[in-house]
Amino acid sequence: MTCADCQKSLGALVDEELPAGEVARVEEHLANCPECAAAHQRLLDTSAQLKGDLMRYKAPDVLKARIRATLTEPAREEKPRPMVLHATGSTRRWMRPLAAAAAIAIVSSGLTFAAMRDRAPASAVQNEVLASHIRSLMPGHLTDVASNDQHNVKPWFNGRVNLSPDVPRLDSLGFPLVGGRVDYIDGHNVATIVYTRRQHVINVFVWPSTDRSDTPPEVSSSNGYNLIHVRRGGEEIWLVSDLNLAELRTFSALVIPRG
Amino acid sequence: MAEDTVERFERQVLPYLDDAYTLARYLLHDEHDAQDAVQDAALKAFRHFGSFRQGDGRAWLLTIVRNSCYDWHKSHKMDRATVSLGDDAEAVADPRYVDDPAVQGSDRERVRAAVDALPAELREVIVLRELNDLSYREIAAVVGVPIGTVMSRLSRARERLAAALGDDSRRAG
Repeated sequence: MTCADCQKSLGALVDEELPAGEVARVEEHLANCPECAAAHQRLLDTSAQLKGDLMRYKAPDVLKARIRATLTEPAREEKPRPMVLHATGSTRRWMRPLAAAAAIAIVSSGLTFAAMRDRAPASAVQNEVLASHIRSLMPGHLTDVASNDQHNVKPWFNGRVNLSPDVPRLDSLGFPLVGGRVDYIDGHNVATIVYTRRQHVINVFVWPSTDRSDTPPEVSSSNGYNLIHVRRGGEEIWLVSDLNLAELRTFSALVIPRG
Repeated sequence: MAEDTVERFERQVLPYLDDAYTLARYLLHDEHDAQDAVQDAALKAFRHFGSFRQGDGRAWLLTIVRNSCYDWHKSHKMDRATVSLGDDAEAVADPRYVDDPAVQGSDRERVRAAVDALPAELREVIVLRELNDLSYREIAAVVGVPIGTVMSRLSRARERLAAALGDDSRRAG
């Protein structure tokens, strides 16, 4: 075997793609040719360095959530639920299948409001909360104010919503604050405070309630998301995440003021 | 769409989202673009899932992801200038992205920079081989070239990387 033939086969040898018969011939040459052996070693080192040092990414949960949401969306077209989509500058192509459902949903949610002026039934509110959560997972929609400092987030809500929500800092407990935004749910401007747990996003929705009575935490799940609802001190509070329920309950105990 | 189609898709294709996202991050660099391209690819894959028989769901998904990335690159190159500052601010402040191991350690940065400097046709075969662990035959199918071309591209890519990383370590040492 010539050096030129050997060098041609080195890549396949390193990648274990060389036929068994060839392997023996190349290895025999390598044993007797320091130059080719050095080239072989260099290839092994380069490959090992790439495998060891190059980052393998994990698809973020928010991406998985978006994909899950679009997969199940066509099945729900005949039974649309309120889904509010913000038209961003460039309409993302993957939004298209949602657009038809959203158009129907906007009309039907308008009808819902007309029919029930005071308060939509709990399940409709839950759907709106969930839709806001899913929309927030789309790129660029998570926060209007991005800050891990509660002293930036809390005052940001002044004049934007009709209450001053609690924004506790929970970094040390493993729930870092990400920021806040304003959503529109059940006819209200809603303060939404965003936390994370590992790769999971937790949205805390708060708006003033006309009902002064408190309710115990009410847990539900829909579409792979867990939701906790509480009415406390004249505020409607919803927590939504794809985080497991046990950790979401822990979080709920931290953010919801004791009555 | 029948519920069991969704389930089958989730079982046979979605486990490879990490591979898909890794490829997209190396082809598009920007994490939001990569997410959008993977989302786009997953949706396309789902629509064409009927034409996918038994076989390697991973190579199949990666083929679609690769095409989505190049489509994305083509159609959104002009949009880059109009990306709002809000997106960037969020990417910095969002702790989900801060613990990215890629930002730790100079070895990783050096290797990453060398790979990023490769032309796309060499970069993609390196990622498919070294990170996605695809065989030559699978890479040939994903990229749509003969196996011989895969081998010569891999060889060229590794030569360039060895040279770039060798230079760096000489300079450092």
